Amino acid sequence: MRSLTITAILFSFLPSILCSSGSNTSQPLNSRLILPSNFKPPQVFRNVNLVRTINLEKAYPRDMINVIIENIDKKPQDEYFLPFESGLLEKVGAFEVRDKKTPEREGFLVDIVEYDLQSPTQFYRIRLPEPLKPSAHQTLSISYSILSSLRPVPAAINQVDKQYLVHLFSAYSPSAYVTLKQKTKVKFPGTEIKEYTVLPKGTNTDGSEDPQKQGSTFTYGPYGELPAGAQEPVKVRYEFTKPLLHVSALERDLEVSHWGGNLATEERYWTINKAANLSSHFSRVTWQTTSYYNPATVAVSSLKMPLLVGSLNPYFTDEIGNVSTSRFRSGVREAHLELTPRYPIFGGWKYNFRVGWDADLKNFLRKLKAGDGYVLKVPFMEGPKQSEGVEYGKVEVRVILPEGAR
Amino acid sequence: MANSAVDPFLQGTTGRNTRGLLRLIILWFESIIHEFDPWFNFRATKYLVQHGFYSFWDWFDDRTWHPLGRVTGGTLYPGLMVTSGAIYNVLRLLSMPVDIRNICVLLAPAFSGLTALATYLLTSELSPSPSAGLLAAAFMGIAPGYISRSVAGSYDNEAIAIFLLVFTFYLWIKALKLGSAFWGALTALFYFYMVSAWGGYVFITNLIPLHAFVLIAMGRYSPRLYVSYTTCEHMSSLGVFGLLQLVGFVEFIRQQVPSKQFQTLLQSLIVAIFLVSVGILVLLTVAGVIAPWSGRFYSLWDTGYAKIHIPIIASVSEHQPTAWPAFFFDLNFLIWLFPAGVYLCFRTLKDEHVFVVIYSILASYFAGVMVRLMLTLTPVVCVAAALALSYILDTYLVMDSPSAEAYVNDRTKANSTTSGAATSVSVQQRKASSSTASESLRSTQDPLIGIYSSKSKLSIAVVISTYLLLFVLHCTWVTSNAYSSPSVVLASRLPDGSQHIIDDYREAYQWLRQNTPNDAKIMSWWDYGYQIGGMADRATLVDNNTWNNTHIATVGKAMSSREEVSYPILRQHDVDYVLVVFGGVLGYSGDDINKFLWMVRIAEGVWPDEVKERNFFTDRGEYRVDDEATPTMKNSLMYKMSYYNYNALFPPGQARDRVRNSRLPAEGPRLNTLEEAFTSENWIIRIYKVKDLDNVGRDHASAVAFEKGSRKKETTSKRRAARVLRVE
Repeated sequence: MRSLTITAILFSFLPSILCSSGSNTSQPLNSRLILPSNFKPPQVFRNVNLVRTINLEKAYPRDMINVIIENIDKKPQDEYFLPFESGLLEKVGAFEVRDKKTPEREGFLVDIVEYDLQSPTQFYRIRLPEPLKPSAHQTLSISYSILSSLRPVPAAINQVDKQYLVHLFSAYSPSAYVTLKQKTKVKFPGTEIKEYTVLPKGTNTDGSEDPQKQGSTFTYGPYGELPAGAQEPVKVRYEFTKPLLHVSALERDLEVSHWGGNLATEERYWTINKAANLSSHFSRVTWQTTSYYNPATVAVSSLKMPLLVGSLNPYFTDEIGNVSTSRFRSGVREAHLELTPRYPIFGGWKYNFRVGWDADLKNFLRKLKAGDGYVLKVPFMEGPKQSEGVEYGKVEVRVILPEGAR
Repeated sequence: MANSAVDPFLQGTTGRNTRGLLRLIILWFESIIHEFDPWFNFRATKYLVQHGFYSFWDWFDDRTWHPLGRVTGGTLYPGLMVTSGAIYNVLRLLSMPVDIRNICVLLAPAFSGLTALATYLLTSELSPSPSAGLLAAAFMGIAPGYISRSVAGSYDNEAIAIFLLVFTFYLWIKALKLGSAFWGALTALFYFYMVSAWGGYVFITNLIPLHAFVLIAMGRYSPRLYVSYTTCEHMSSLGVFGLLQLVGFVEFIRQQVPSKQFQTLLQSLIVAIFLVSVGILVLLTVAGVIAPWSGRFYSLWDTGYAKIHIPIIASVSEHQPTAWPAFFFDLNFLIWLFPAGVYLCFRTLKDEHVFVVIYSILASYFAGVMVRLMLTLTPVVCVAAALALSYILDTYLVMDSPSAEAYVNDRTKANSTTSGAATSVSVQQRKASSSTASESLRSTQDPLIGIYSSKSKLSIAVVISTYLLLFVLHCTWVTSNAYSSPSVVLASRLPDGSQHIIDDYREAYQWLRQNTPNDAKIMSWWDYGYQIGGMADRATLVDNNTWNNTHIATVGKAMSSREEVSYPILRQHDVDYVLVVFGGVLGYSGDDINKFLWMVRIAEGVWPDEVKERNFFTDRGEYRVDDEATPTMKNSLMYKMSYYNYNALFPPGQARDRVRNSRLPAEGPRLNTLEEAFTSENWIIRIYKVKDLDNVGRDHASAVAFEKGSRKKETTSKRRAARVLRVE
């Protein structure tokens, strides 16, 4: 579970430029920051207003925290800390911070702070691009996903049964600072919510029922002033009859061939479906008869990979050869690779495969105006696009340059 | 001969392209290993490449023949794996990293190219006409009989063995002609290679001594024979070796004391000694003193033998006697040119021609006995047909009419001078035959022959070209239709003409590989053993290396008995999953129900009291799966596993088996001790999990009945307890 580092890289990298001439323009990969063990975030900020949205529509919860922060110190400050429980920190992925006012600008720099490994709380450090002046306000938009955190209950279901997921979180948003006002919205994928925690009356400020329901959205709060690190555990259990596709490892190779003028991409996937297991064995009869109606299922029966336009010669194989059930649609505007695994991947089942394709190198490579250098611009990741999302445990991207490249 | 050595490479280009094309048709599908045995060879090669030669040699494979294991290193023919391992390492040395799979897939086509070359060399030794070698090489390149074993992905011993066979024969002929110890040594070297590569090596070991023996019996002993044979040196060959020494000695004496009668006397004496020693050999073999021959070889002598004694050998389709159409299918017009070629060999009966004659007689017999041995027949058919065809072409494709004068001149020249530049090939041929004319048959003393009319020349040329064209068409058709589809993948056409690939085997194997514990034991009929080992990477009970008949019979018994009998067998062998092949949905006839009788027969061979083939047939002697199937059939594990839950696919009472074209009983079989774990898309592969013992100690039947909520029947309690497997 080193999803954290990976996804952090992912986003700092996205328009990644790797140079064959050797000057690597990207940031060094070591992003862990080590601080003294008695570290505590200095209380220089306070959250004036905070709205957290937990989106449960995908196979992993996505949190979005919009917060107005105020500098209560006398000096300008530029380091904002966000706490996570140490177990949770490992699962945080796609951490991204932007200024709400200028969302089009690139995300802020973020690091993981490492000080005391035994400590139950760990921090993300967000570095503001410009130090915030005393008593000035700024609106941050922090978003992240928590991977592998949803748990099917019951853990084993029948082939045609619905799946229910449990998500545990705190009604109070994680914060290292005093929060004056906040609320937490939970967006469910549907209206079938089997269980949810009802907080005692009077917890919220307006004295109404907590949570408040509005269609498939529940709102916990608003709450008044809370100290740093305040928590209120909440459990929800809701219907989600979709796969929880987890790529435990992905190796992605991009091979640049100057001779062939070709950019060959190969991706090797080790996948497992973390959805509820089958309580009895797989029945082909049921699968065949029900697939006629195309019902919701926890099984992965196909993967759709949008490729860059101009991709050629795709292949889809596994250890024992070509998987004949793939389809490639390619046109002027799109190139879609539709993969059907050899068998439907049910909960707890694994499937390893590799896909690869070629592309004309000239769309990705240009020569520098000065010197012998070349600039290669390729997507950091492609991969299957599923409506319920795909999570990655470990990603390894290799760029193979031509022999003799410096 | 020397000047024509370059020609084949120029002229042969087109031929080679065709060959390349034909063999690579398989790559329409993909780079994949075919069939069953190649999967094992592939796995062994991977082991060799990973662990090195010595550990390969000591390889004890515990993933097969559970719980026995197999001493693989000592029980296989390593020639193939070592060859591809060597190619792999050489390519790596040249810094060309090639996937070992690609080497294995493409090894057979590469070697078939070499075979064509070897055929060229061999034929060129037999005929003075340069066209004969070329034709033979071209025939060899496209003859379906050989392509069947040399398409890409057919990574089997035969792939390299045929090349070695032909090449060894070439070297032997060469050695014999020149009387050279060098060529003899080369023959021995390739002979050794062949022995390491294919069980069919006994063919060479017996053919070469036989040739030597026949030559002696014909009174054609020569120092050349002595040198070449003694240089290259098995059971019967040892006998000939001794004989040769004897003859050598006697000949030596004869040279001192020339006497015609004495010689004849001695020769007949020698033949008698040889026959007596062969007799002793046979006696010893029968008495079991000398390692007896394996059953496969017995079936070569007596085609009925296997059917009666060793059902396991008879159960393999490759070991069936060849049907007549198969000859034409695999060899096309070569088959009727073949006798003509042999006849031509009789006409110029030199030592090497004797070889072709012996080879063709033996190979024809063997090919008739076993489909598989069609492979050894193909080279000699190509050679002989090429001899015949080149003879015709050389006679008919000469533009100028022959004249009697030139013929007489030639004749006198040939008689007076021993060598001379030949003007035309046909003349040379005639000359060659005329020089030996005095020794050979009278009919071979050829008079002046030649074709005067250009009309007949033209018509023959047209007819021959038509035949050749048809042959090429036939080969292409056969190859692309019969030999190019890897049997793990079935291809069909959708109504709209697009290709639809049925890939159930690999679907199931991949499922096994991914979703079962790494040490799971899979029981299946032995046909699928190698594939499960190679593709699913799981331990199997039996596989295609059918060395232990009893173990196979155990699997056969488990499949053909009632659940109560089978379950203890499964438990005793740690079986986790049982795999069956069922073609009923698709109409795939190569399924386990159709192979079932062999399982029954093999099991009956070991447990005649417990498994009886008769009980699987109805009173009228029919093998049925419908309502009228016998109780033994309906209760057998195989039947239950094949048809379990099959009814659910159809409206009630409408279940049909498309292979056997029969309507199934309204109520499907019930399984107590196994549960369905996976069924592939088209139901070809069905995998069952063996249930663990019941938690509360009930027997499985009552546990299932309880689950279903049905009342415990009185009969269940009265039923006898599960029979215990007799363990030897």
